[in-house]
Amino acid sequence: MKFTCEKNALAREISFAQEVIASKNALSIMSNVLLDARAGSLSLKATDIKVSFETSLPVDTGEEGVVTVFCDKLSGILASIPEGDIALEEDDAKVIVKPTFKKVRFQLKTIAGERFPELPQAENGITFSLPARDLKEMIAQTIFAVSDDETRYFMNGVFFENAEEGLALVATDGRRLSYVKRAFETTVPTFKGVIVPPKILSLIQKHAPDEGSIEVAVTEKSIFFRFGTYRISSLLIEGQFPNYQKVIPETQKNRMLVRRLDWLDSLKRVSIFVEQKSRRTIITLSDGVMVISSEENEIGTAREEIPCRYEGPKVVLALNYRYLEEPLKVMDCEYVVVEFTEPNRAITISPEPSSDYFHIVMPMQVE
Amino acid sequence: MLFHVDLDAFFASVERLDDPSLAGKPVIVGAAPGRRGVVCTCSYEAREFGVHSAMPISEAYRRCPQGVFLPVRMRRYVELSGRVMEIFSRFTPDVRPMSIDEAFLDMTGTRRLWGPPAEAAVKLKTCVFEETGLTISVGVAHNAYAAKIASGLRKPDGLYVVEEGQEEEFALSLPLSKLWGAGEKTQERFRQLGIVSVAQLASLGEAQIASLFGNAAGRFLHAAAHGRDPGILGPDSGRRSLSAETTFERDTAHRETILDVLMGLAEEISFRLWDSDYRSRTLALKLRFDDFSTISRRATRPAPYLSSAEVFGDAVEILDRAWDGRRKVRLLGLGFGDLTARTDGAQGELFADGSEKIRRAESAAFEIERDGKGRLTRARLLGKEGRDRRRPGGDAGIR
Repeated sequence: MKFTCEKNALAREISFAQEVIASKNALSIMSNVLLDARAGSLSLKATDIKVSFETSLPVDTGEEGVVTVFCDKLSGILASIPEGDIALEEDDAKVIVKPTFKKVRFQLKTIAGERFPELPQAENGITFSLPARDLKEMIAQTIFAVSDDETRYFMNGVFFENAEEGLALVATDGRRLSYVKRAFETTVPTFKGVIVPPKILSLIQKHAPDEGSIEVAVTEKSIFFRFGTYRISSLLIEGQFPNYQKVIPETQKNRMLVRRLDWLDSLKRVSIFVEQKSRRTIITLSDGVMVISSEENEIGTAREEIPCRYEGPKVVLALNYRYLEEPLKVMDCEYVVVEFTEPNRAITISPEPSSDYFHIVMPMQVE
Repeated sequence: MLFHVDLDAFFASVERLDDPSLAGKPVIVGAAPGRRGVVCTCSYEAREFGVHSAMPISEAYRRCPQGVFLPVRMRRYVELSGRVMEIFSRFTPDVRPMSIDEAFLDMTGTRRLWGPPAEAAVKLKTCVFEETGLTISVGVAHNAYAAKIASGLRKPDGLYVVEEGQEEEFALSLPLSKLWGAGEKTQERFRQLGIVSVAQLASLGEAQIASLFGNAAGRFLHAAAHGRDPGILGPDSGRRSLSAETTFERDTAHRETILDVLMGLAEEISFRLWDSDYRSRTLALKLRFDDFSTISRRATRPAPYLSSAEVFGDAVEILDRAWDGRRKVRLLGLGFGDLTARTDGAQGELFADGSEKIRRAESAAFEIERDGKGRLTRARLLGKEGRDRRRPGGDAGIR
């Protein structure tokens, strides 16, 4: 195998591949990126077994061939050399990397391409296409709520399911839940709801462009996304996503309106004093005023008042500030509405005017 | 200056406190007679019949059929234990509870407040008795080992002071049978070797003792014979842990007996934890075998423990990993590690899951007991004959 290409173009793809690869063990094929040069094109493959990545870019092919190299080091090499053309050449179980304009050469040991695992293919899947911007927005509204508790593995991903003619994304860690539902110009075909691990969704958020569309394919075990030259896939999480519908309050007694950034900024300030393990923050509502405060500890306290639109009995809520901060950060509205019934029942946070998403948060006990 | 404080026949004393008609009777708290299970605590009257804790209940019944056999009401004991520990903490900020009925108090630097050690100990005993009606035995010494032995010498309602510098003399004055940590098997070995006194044991060098009893036991016995602490407290993990342990009167490899005791320990530490301002996700199991070798194993789970059934379930798993089922066990300990402030656990759950239900069942059981509407205990501790082999869940049995 031998090819020449522009360094930055290759570096971009190699760094994407490196994000997919989890292993840093130089002796494992799983740490390697597969390079396949043929007919003026270089295709790359990387996988951590669960998430797989494929792309291609145009190169000057000198000699066709397939080889795998330690991705971490290749990425390091590419980052260290200046812009310009570089040549990669396979030579007896090594790949020689050299810029065409500098007297430096790197030798990387290789592992034969045949030993690289077969990547899953989207055969017999249900396929549809979504506007990239919509999918990225929907991921942003939900991904932070995914549980990282491995004993609740069925909550370790974002649930994708049909919602009327469109698509709903739901994520929960058992204490809060985020939901977004959107319809598109074309109807989403019926598929059985799937739990998608957050890693692939983060990759989409980071690498997919805002314009254009993303092709989606869902099979029994995997989900596939295609945008630009990229094809990425992930194994789905097996298991039953919880019956989330029943924890979404249908009606709430009380309603409070507040400017989103006022609340977010004051939470950030008060959080300096909030106990970092429980992140317990006290929200006190009375006519027209919201007080955000920390519980007193050996260091001190913080308390801030902000105006809000609320008419009702004085209420004290205890909440994990992260469960407020995370949704408030990604909501795209000037005002948010908080609805609640009792201090120990789930609260609903939604944009005003209402949109196609909302967040549910379970409070902590008020002692 | 350390105080080792032991609540006298604690569970039995609480039962007697709550039902004065039991005064002077042999009270045996534990499994029901005719069933499987062990004795948790018995009154001094019952001890005269040869009944002791961790003894199979059938054996206790054989020795003392006229005894009053009562089920374990752990929450009530925890409540009273908490009151006693609170009194301790008024005497010194440095209280180290060892189990529900036992604590070390570091009284260093409290002389100006409470007077010389013997005087302070009397004040402590008076205070506990006046406020709770319970008696304690106090051992005073400069090391934990001597204090622990001393508290056991004049039970019940005892006080024994080992003066500073007298620890070795104190140890040498003990009968060999009082040498803490030397159980039945070790005593048997003493007899075989013709060792009849602590002094005789102390005259052997550490290497020689080790060659006769094995390395771990050798170190332990050599230190103990010279009145030095062989490390009974273990490294101080501060207030970040909570544990309880039971020494079997006879070393045992009988799995069911070990599980019964483990269940009792799981309940004890769980209720103590619920009663505290802390939560924990880490469970630690300690096993000391008949050769004195001691191992500790711990496991951490993602969410804080909310029921003693979960604690027991995990404890059994740790036990099965740590123990081959054949080595004889002389001491079993169970504790929570890495305690964190309770507010962590005050987070509400969107999806009511099983553990929350079990926790609610346990607190309902407690309320039934507290309000005098009945007595509840775990089916496992009832020791049903021929019960199925399922892992215990939240099932509480009424008797």
